[in-house]
Amino acid sequence: MDIQRGNIIVMDRRRGTLRAGQGLLQGLKVVWDHWVGSFRKNDNFSQIHGTFTIEYPDERMKLPQAYRNMPVLLYDDETGQELCTACYQCARACPPEVIHITQAKDPNTGKMVPASLEFIIEYDACMSCGLCAEACPFDAIKMDHFYELSTDNRMGLMQRKADLNRPVSYYTSIAPDLWDEVKEGAMKKLQGSIKRRPDVIGIAGHLSEKIAARRRQLAAEAAASPPAPVAAAPAAPAGKLSPEEKAAKLAAMRAAKAGGAEPAAEAPAPAAELSPADAKAAKLAAIKAANAAKKAAESPAAEVPAAPLDEKAAKLAAIRAANAAKAAAEAPAAPLDEKAAKLAAIRAANAAKKKSE
Amino acid sequence: MHDVINHLINTVFGLGWPGWAISLIAYLLIATILFMIVPFQMLFLTYFERRAIARMQDRVGPNRVGPEGIFQPVADGVKMFTKEDIVPDAADKWVHLIGPGIVVAPTMFMFAVLPWGPGMVPFDMNIGLLFFFAISSVSAVGLMASGWASNNKFALLGAMRAVAQMVSYEIPAVLSLLAIVLVTGSLSIVDLITFQSGLFISSSDVPGIPDFGLGWFVFTPVGFLAFIAFFIAALAEGERTPFDIPEADSEIVAGYMTEYSGMKFGLFYLAQYVLNFLLCAITAIIFFGGWQGPGVGWLYAQAITPANPAGNGLFNVLAGVLGVFYFLAKTYFFFFVMVWVRGAYARLRIDQLMDFGWKLLIPLTLVNVVSAAIWVGLTKWGAADGLAFVEGWAPLMRWAVAFVITLVMNLVAYFFLVRVYSQSQDERARLDDEVLERLTNVA
Amino acid sequence: MLKTEELQINIGPQHPSTHGVFRMIVTVDGETITDLKPVFGYLHRNHEQIAEVNTYLQNMPYTDRLDYFNSMANNHAYALAVEKLVGIEVPERAEYLRVLMVELTRILNHAGALGFLINDMGAWQTQLAFGMREREKILDLFESASGARLMCNYFRFGGVARDLPPDFMPRLKDLLIAMPAFVDEMERLLRENEILLQRSENIGVLPKEVAISYSVTGPMLRASGVPYDIRRAEPYSIYDRFDFDVPVGAVGDVYDRILVRIEEMRQSKRIIEQVIAQLPDAQGGHINPKARQNVRPPAGDVYARVETPKGELGFYLVSDGSLKPYRYKVRAPSFINLTPLGDMCRGYKVADVVVILGSIDIVMGEVDR
Repeated sequence: MDIQRGNIIVMDRRRGTLRAGQGLLQGLKVVWDHWVGSFRKNDNFSQIHGTFTIEYPDERMKLPQAYRNMPVLLYDDETGQELCTACYQCARACPPEVIHITQAKDPNTGKMVPASLEFIIEYDACMSCGLCAEACPFDAIKMDHFYELSTDNRMGLMQRKADLNRPVSYYTSIAPDLWDEVKEGAMKKLQGSIKRRPDVIGIAGHLSEKIAARRRQLAAEAAASPPAPVAAAPAAPAGKLSPEEKAAKLAAMRAAKAGGAEPAAEAPAPAAELSPADAKAAKLAAIKAANAAKKAAESPAAEVPAAPLDEKAAKLAAIRAANAAKAAAEAPAAPLDEKAAKLAAIRAANAAKKKSE
Repeated sequence: MHDVINHLINTVFGLGWPGWAISLIAYLLIATILFMIVPFQMLFLTYFERRAIARMQDRVGPNRVGPEGIFQPVADGVKMFTKEDIVPDAADKWVHLIGPGIVVAPTMFMFAVLPWGPGMVPFDMNIGLLFFFAISSVSAVGLMASGWASNNKFALLGAMRAVAQMVSYEIPAVLSLLAIVLVTGSLSIVDLITFQSGLFISSSDVPGIPDFGLGWFVFTPVGFLAFIAFFIAALAEGERTPFDIPEADSEIVAGYMTEYSGMKFGLFYLAQYVLNFLLCAITAIIFFGGWQGPGVGWLYAQAITPANPAGNGLFNVLAGVLGVFYFLAKTYFFFFVMVWVRGAYARLRIDQLMDFGWKLLIPLTLVNVVSAAIWVGLTKWGAADGLAFVEGWAPLMRWAVAFVITLVMNLVAYFFLVRVYSQSQDERARLDDEVLERLTNVA
Repeated sequence: MLKTEELQINIGPQHPSTHGVFRMIVTVDGETITDLKPVFGYLHRNHEQIAEVNTYLQNMPYTDRLDYFNSMANNHAYALAVEKLVGIEVPERAEYLRVLMVELTRILNHAGALGFLINDMGAWQTQLAFGMREREKILDLFESASGARLMCNYFRFGGVARDLPPDFMPRLKDLLIAMPAFVDEMERLLRENEILLQRSENIGVLPKEVAISYSVTGPMLRASGVPYDIRRAEPYSIYDRFDFDVPVGAVGDVYDRILVRIEEMRQSKRIIEQVIAQLPDAQGGHINPKARQNVRPPAGDVYARVETPKGELGFYLVSDGSLKPYRYKVRAPSFINLTPLGDMCRGYKVADVVVILGSIDIVMGEVDR
């Protein structure tokens, strides 16, 4: 038989030579060379001699940027805004279907907002294929480089949003080139979605969850007590302000506790040393409070006198709400969540239907 | 040891104890020392093997427990001791229990005749070599017992293989030693060592050769061929690659050890490594002069010995240290060779192993025995023995003639037998035609 | 007259050298095999059925898990099948990258397979360690390109997942310097070693006609003397652009399989050198077809096959026009090469069974699916 661009070569079995142990000696020689060569390190791909062991807990391999282990969610360092918009692309791309998303809802209008309320990835069933990261149009889900995930707690491998959130700076530290490729588009899209996010929804991790919980309770409180002394329209800025203030206060208190007798002005510094989460929260809250104050100052004159009153009322409401929450757990908040989830699911289904059509 | 204690008690302290008391003390002491040394040898050898073979495979080997992993075998030992001892339900409990003991005991006995240094032999038997090999075959009983008692097909197959292998490789091992015994005319291991003084030429063959302790048997054609044959047989006897067929892990799981766990399993390991140590040691002793080496002979000549009771005790110690150093260095070198072979080769099949033993090694060693006889005739005999024509030759001349003749004989025998052997192997392989025909019929 | 009894031994499912959970019911007369019955299915993972509830792209990472030694080659076969079904053109550079990866896969598979085979013969892992060293180097390259060492998931419909990182080519060139030395060393260790010859020559002979009638493929078939290589017989991708030889054996025994694998490593290296020389420079968008996340092929069916290191891997897909395949069938080389095991082993010794099994070079993930 003839083939193009090559030959058929029949393997030469070298019969006929007397085999009196030459092959055995040859084998010994090869092994000897390796034994002699093994006292230096094989650090180059062009070498075949030398030890090539990487003594794992002491040394670690340099991971390539493209390395993928488990998916994580990114949020912006400065604003704390998550890049995820709960578009369900990753959940749809996931082959073992381990991504579960609940879309967030605007508590005032009840409309869906481009942010996730809860985001669950079952790490135990995840196959690290990276299709979610490829599918994500907002570059919000990326593959982590952390691989020491062994645990004796299987349920601990069900990662919630708080466990999944990583700052963008973390991702740039592990894969700078890959982030540079998508950076501009991702940040632009993030600005777009921030605009459509009311107040604290979509703010990362620990911080957003705390604020969101407070926010939900506030809303419940407001719904439960209709004879409020304020009009519906100006309530919005007040509602926006109070939880932030609360967070700031909380953060300040914590910082003070952490800092001990140190003055309040220096509080963030020791706090940062102790727990970056608190410091970040405090900073964020401070920035927000400042922004809100600016807004309030710039708003039309008619609303100006209303603001302090509103603030007072809101504070009162907040205290009351806190008490109520202590007493009655999160009973009023739960059904709201469920409803939001249901709505999100329906919407997603509709969207999918539309797309498939 | 006996001499030193005698000197210490009766000369230094002047107690005048009887000979039997001194012998008893000496033997108790020696036995205690040996039983302490033996397990440590095993621990060290496992570590040594793992590190060496790792280097051959471009790895580092165990280096976590202790500095450079030196306590790794201790950790393994602790693991062995704390593991659950599982005895299968269908096993013959008592035989299952006794099996490992029967395997270990002979290896301990074999230390009785092993000389460690000049004057450092637990018991200088005049049939030491015979004792050594007679005792070593006892462990086959233990292997068979444990393989049969496990009531496991793999274990039974492994035990069968082990016994078949041990029995058939005793023969070339003993035949190759027979050649050496012919040359020295003694079965005592101590005599074998003292015979090997000199420099490349044994001073017993050619008187007047300066004694550098280098007149090893391996430098003669007879000794060299015997060494090769003996070492191969030792690999088979010690169940080392390429003859580790009884415990071929890729075929019959772990052979006779399959149903053992915990310290019983550990005992098999102990027995195996101690046996390997002993085989390496006996190789070093018989073919490489044991403790013989530059300086030992001179030092020992100044020491307290039965021949020289007025010597200096310090020289006993010095000669002992140097002798033990030479001996252990040679022994570990041979163990390294075993590891090296293990690193390079695959395993033979059981029938090929038998073929190799019976069709190549035994004829070869038989030829070697004839060579040894010629060697003895040319170097030792005279007119009284019927070899009048060598009478007038100078000793060196006689040695040289013997060297050349035996070299030619052995070389011719080697190549002839290898040719015959490989033809016979091809013949065996050609039986496949039948298989081929059957296969083609399938198509 | 002495009466002997035949003994039945179960080799597997838990056995050190069955390459996974595989069981052979061996009937032996002494040590000679009179009958061998392979039993498999212990690793069945419902691969084909799962594939029918996934979209086309979602199946790509699942194909990695078929033959986990050669995920790139599996990806290639599946990508080819879907591309044929949908009618997608693949850009030049992506084609070259695919060939590069698949040929690297061939080298790593053969390096590992030879090592495991010699291990089955009873060597204490030296040859395997040497093979694994080269394999690790190649896996490092795969990791830097695709993000994973074993489950690469690198191919996409109409291209590959991403372009090569900048440090890929220098490392590959270093690797190609080491490759001939490694192959030569392997040959020195294996080719004339008397023990190995005794263990492999005329063992597990599979004559030409039998091999063809069992539809054996890959190095197994070529060792039996049939020069059938899909890269030559039905050039897919861009294999018609490269010069390489097809090694065939003379007898069809274990020894020939070893020789053929050694030679194939050399030929793969030749192909890789040609790929490096011809690789076009087009960057970026052509390689990463993000727009083709979900394909919706027209109704119809397709069969695409590639020459993986183990043999012919084929994917048969039936589309009903939806996002998911209606039927998804894998023609796995390991599975089909395993079928003549009984015929190959009969008449040999117990020790030969594991060697013959090792020479087939199976991966249970692919056999059982």
